[in-house]
Amino acid sequence: MRSGSKQIERTSARWMMLASSLLAVISFATPALSQATNPQTPPAESQAVTPDPLSGFNEPMFTFNLKLDDWVLRPVASGYSVIAPQPVREGVGRFFDNVRVIPRFANNLFQLKLVEAGGELARFGINSTLGLVGFFDPADELFGLQEHNNDFGLTIRYYNIPTGPYLMLPFFGPSTIGDTVGLVADGAMNPLDYLVPTWISVTVATGQRAVEAVNYRSLHMNQFEEADRYAIDLYGAVQDAYLQTRAHKVKELHEEQW
Amino acid sequence: MKQVKYTITRTSIQRLLRHRALAMLTLTAALVLSLAPSRFLAPAWADDPMSVVQTTVNRALSVLRDNQTPLAQRQDKLRQIVSATFDFTEMAKSALGYHWKQITAAQQQEFTTAFVAFIEDSYLSKINDYRGQQVAFLTARNDGPQYAQVNTNIIEPNGQDPIHVNYLLLQKDTTWKIYDVTVDAISIIANYRNQFNRVMNNKGYDTLISDLKSKQAALAARLANH
Repeated sequence: MRSGSKQIERTSARWMMLASSLLAVISFATPALSQATNPQTPPAESQAVTPDPLSGFNEPMFTFNLKLDDWVLRPVASGYSVIAPQPVREGVGRFFDNVRVIPRFANNLFQLKLVEAGGELARFGINSTLGLVGFFDPADELFGLQEHNNDFGLTIRYYNIPTGPYLMLPFFGPSTIGDTVGLVADGAMNPLDYLVPTWISVTVATGQRAVEAVNYRSLHMNQFEEADRYAIDLYGAVQDAYLQTRAHKVKELHEEQW
Repeated sequence: MKQVKYTITRTSIQRLLRHRALAMLTLTAALVLSLAPSRFLAPAWADDPMSVVQTTVNRALSVLRDNQTPLAQRQDKLRQIVSATFDFTEMAKSALGYHWKQITAAQQQEFTTAFVAFIEDSYLSKINDYRGQQVAFLTARNDGPQYAQVNTNIIEPNGQDPIHVNYLLLQKDTTWKIYDVTVDAISIIANYRNQFNRVMNNKGYDTLISDLKSKQAALAARLANH
């Protein structure tokens, strides 16, 4: 009885967190219409540099992640890629992608992208059944329903809320303060959290995350070697690539709407 | 009373609509007229950004595909093609950002030479990575009078998602030169600017130039080994 009420309390606290962050999004939301197109500055005078106030934390974390990759992730992924042929690994990647439908659906909804949100539901229905629990993607291949990836970090940016400084997370990789909030919010949408005790859902989530990371790495074996070959400062290259990619994704989200 | 109110609202809406239609018409006309000189009346002989990119990429592709000619000759050819249409000085200057003005003229020269060699060798490495990719030329867009962007897709032979490669061009005198390339929306020059800015702030120019030279040497050695 006691633990039951505790469970409810924790669950409602989570929902409160989610609801209050949503409320924050809506109340601070400024219309996204006034997205001014970037006036082109002469290239040589372009002097923009990325501030990095948390570099004292980020740099050791970056080193940690590289070491983790070197000692654990890459060797494991390399062994795994010998056992599992590429089509299988691609199927596993699609399976994990299919499972994460709720944050994609919810964030498309938060951005009032109703068609995209509905598309995600339809994709989940088709791929979970015809696509054999998500290992295949007939929704795209047969029905032309493409995935509309979305997350809470993008919702924050979508409503022009500053996403805060760059943050390198251990295990998870490049992020920002806002994207980390998004990661937590998207994580809170995992239905498993509300059905089983926390220790089970945490264990499952960690295991899932680890398998996913190994699977992803096995499909991108030369990624870091290649990046390092063309980089003068790998930390700076990863930081900028992450921030440019996120900024571009939001620009795309605005453009497809209007 | 109600009837009157209704009429007023109705006529004012109609008037508004008429005004709007007129305004839209004027706006469209003005827009068409202002765009006409650059879009439709450009002399046929002038190089436009799209044909500059098309010529460069197609010539580069023919070198990449030609596996009969010795590698050293193909590298030389590629180097010529690239240096004819890439504005390397502009790229070097832009990649250094505000630090450019803080170093001496001799250092600017030294840095430009090292950076050009590095970028060229990065580009030449693509010879070894070439697996029969095709290039689709999508759109060309003018960004103001002197700037343009040409969008292309690199089509992978195994049906993977295409890589979006956009070329940013700058018109100098009458010729268009490429000053930046974006790969899946990541500006290469902006990416190097972030890296160089960190090295300049944390360690200074001497480290930057020696790192740049040693990376370039590693790339050159890898090229020679293949």
